[in-house]
Amino acid sequence: RQYGGYEYSQQSGFIPPEMMQQQPYTGQIYQPTQTYTPTSAQSFYGSNFEDEPPLLEELGINFDHIWQKTLTVLHPLKVADGSIMNETDLAGPMVFCLAFGATLLLAGKIQFGYVYGISAIGCLGMFCLLNLMSMTGVSFGCVASVLGYCLLPMILLSTFAIVFSLQGVMGIILTAGIIGWCSFSASKIFISALAMEGQQLLVAYPCALLYGVFALISVF
Amino acid sequence: GTADWGGFEDNMQGGGSAVIDMENMDDTSGSSFEDMGEMHQRMKEEEEEEAEGEAGAAEEEDGEFLGMKGLRGQLGRQVADQMWQVGKRQASKAFSLYANIDILRPYFDVEPVQVRTRLLESMIPVKMINFPQKIAGELYGPLMLVFTLVAILLHGMKTSDTIIREGTLMGTAIGTCFGYWLGVSSFIYFLAYLCNAQITMVQMLSLLGYGLFGHCITLFVTYNIHFHSLFYIFWLVVGGLSTLRMVAVLVSRTVGHTQRLILCGTLAALHMLFLLYLHFAYHKVVEGILDTLEGPNMPPFQRVARDIPVVSNAVLNTTAKAVALTL
Repeated sequence: RQYGGYEYSQQSGFIPPEMMQQQPYTGQIYQPTQTYTPTSAQSFYGSNFEDEPPLLEELGINFDHIWQKTLTVLHPLKVADGSIMNETDLAGPMVFCLAFGATLLLAGKIQFGYVYGISAIGCLGMFCLLNLMSMTGVSFGCVASVLGYCLLPMILLSTFAIVFSLQGVMGIILTAGIIGWCSFSASKIFISALAMEGQQLLVAYPCALLYGVFALISVF
Repeated sequence: GTADWGGFEDNMQGGGSAVIDMENMDDTSGSSFEDMGEMHQRMKEEEEEEAEGEAGAAEEEDGEFLGMKGLRGQLGRQVADQMWQVGKRQASKAFSLYANIDILRPYFDVEPVQVRTRLLESMIPVKMINFPQKIAGELYGPLMLVFTLVAILLHGMKTSDTIIREGTLMGTAIGTCFGYWLGVSSFIYFLAYLCNAQITMVQMLSLLGYGLFGHCITLFVTYNIHFHSLFYIFWLVVGGLSTLRMVAVLVSRTVGHTQRLILCGTLAALHMLFLLYLHFAYHKVVEGILDTLEGPNMPPFQRVARDIPVVSNAVLNTTAKAVALTL
């Protein structure tokens, strides 16, 4: 796999010091980096500092894809592209879980443990269920990734709960709407990624139960 | 037959099928007797080799000492290695056979229309009890209904500020609902076995699971509209209908009056009492009822009086009263 066009050289070359000493002194003693440039014939260290790929690429965090997936979640009527879920990306979901916990913290509820526990158990449950219901299997990372991304509207709900109480009729309607939005997006992405037409409602319902438990934490 | 030695692997790669074709299993490790026979044969051969080696080495002791020991050690290691391989193969075959989650696959193959139909049918008692009624052996609907019941219980506990002293809210809710579903299903299945009723475990799980639909409706309504007579009406009508349906299906599959009575009486009692328990145990109860029912006994968990938001509750109550009056 190429990282941005760079290739790791197979021969981790070790340039014998004699070669360096044979280069004439050109009076550039204060620019030592020039001697490291790979312009001369085999002067290519195995792990040059400048030749390493950027840190984000190495970690596999691709901001463009994260943004694409976020947009897919936020537009409930936008058709989901099944191939975006091919790469398991847990950076976005981690950020969303932390943001959810942080907004709960702002409302005075210190419940990071609940968030992590429920998301772990919920992901496990959805993983088992989707493996049983789909023709092709699904990996745990994919399930965790999708469920994490679709947690985004729930963050809006908990942000709203900082300022207004959600225990009135308006709160109930808003909560129900947000739960529906989350589970609709999640089921839409699952359906397109696993090719399970006609079973969107069957996938949406367990997602709605899971997000309902998150909403319960936000509301109470 | 013997020609299909690769058949087992082919089935696994085939994908959709959950049926494992036993006759195509790899013959070399299909029976432990054959394996032990193989092992025995190999060990005999190795022992013979060893014996020959020993006889030869007895003549040349000094120079060959290390070599002999090396040879024996190597043989010993090989034997141990063989046994390990055989054991590992057996274990992995057994694991892939029994812990295969694909066994449950056919029970989750449903469509939304089917689920909806079965949900509605679970409230309609059948009339024909002389002919065994068909029970769909499906686990998706019952599983979702149990989880829904857990969610409703959690909601009820949160709105009434129930404090569970020993354990957590989530654990209590999950334990209660799953415990009821699995425990009572197994118990009734056992009774059905004693009473010679024609029902399998999956069918029993499915039947009882769909019977929880009435419980879900009742609790969802009565946890939000706090009216005691309303709860009793729902308990009798909705709970009764779903119980009648389960009872009718079981009666159609059982022969003999005593057996029918035992089986259906037990199921009806457990089902109705569970609904009663769920309502009273996990929800704010009017103080007077508590006192009359429980007397001097302390309830297992504490109920804290909550501040009912005046507007919404009053609105709901007056609406319910108006509806009841017009009926």
